[in-house]
Amino acid sequence: MLYRLIKNIDTKIKFSVVSAHCDIPCKIYDPISAQLAALTIIRMVDLLEPLKAKTSLTVDEHAEINRLVNQKEKHGIQVKEEISVIWGDYIKAPQLSQYPELHELTHNIMLASSQAKQHINRDAAIKLLKLVNRFAEIFWATKKIKTYDAICPYPPAEVVTYPQLQD
Amino acid sequence: MFGFHFCKVTGMSMSPRIPDNSYVFVVPWLNIVKLKEGALLKVSHPRYGYIVKSLAKVDRNGFFWLRGLHKTSVPIEKIGPVGKTQIQGKVLWIFPPKP
Repeated sequence: MLYRLIKNIDTKIKFSVVSAHCDIPCKIYDPISAQLAALTIIRMVDLLEPLKAKTSLTVDEHAEINRLVNQKEKHGIQVKEEISVIWGDYIKAPQLSQYPELHELTHNIMLASSQAKQHINRDAAIKLLKLVNRFAEIFWATKKIKTYDAICPYPPAEVVTYPQLQD
Repeated sequence: MFGFHFCKVTGMSMSPRIPDNSYVFVVPWLNIVKLKEGALLKVSHPRYGYIVKSLAKVDRNGFFWLRGLHKTSVPIEKIGPVGKTQIQGKVLWIFPPKP
């Protein structure tokens, strides 16, 4: 009764709102951020490789390497964060019993992300993308949403697993 | 009048103690009401705006550390310490919505 009374007053005079914030917006999970971060790592490797092949570098090229490596590092950490939030907050017993590989897959993503961060190695970055794509495939399957693979329409033009949302 | 007021709470981070869409009655007289660990506070946060959180600890420098009560809440270290001037009041009563 008191609640209803206060609510009625609220509709008339509009009390101020205070937020009880969550770590991420409640129930909003999407592995696309991790996939974009993995693609960014590949793109950074593609831009770094010509510089890696050079025997001597100008100051500008040193600065460019610094910037590209910094971005590669940053996105490697982002992959870990995005995946671990979904794994820690969204994945629960029903999803785990449906897809028992999830723990191992998540751990492999952490390892692959470290590998991709440590080296300028396209194979390592591609391996990370494939693992993240598999994670995305499972994530959407737990929501009964079909997925399809397509080449992303921008560099590095690699295969990404997307949800099929228009069925 | 006297500064006390009602606020509407949105979000899950204080549930189950303050469920989403509850109303809270806030008293701003911080020199009179004692702030103990676990006290529910309305805070003006530089990044998150007006938030309601539970007092976790007052450190030796007099800064207030806040936490949510739900597992999805922003972690204590992400909220960071706040000064007493940022505390807008203490939650005295909670009016949760009917189930």
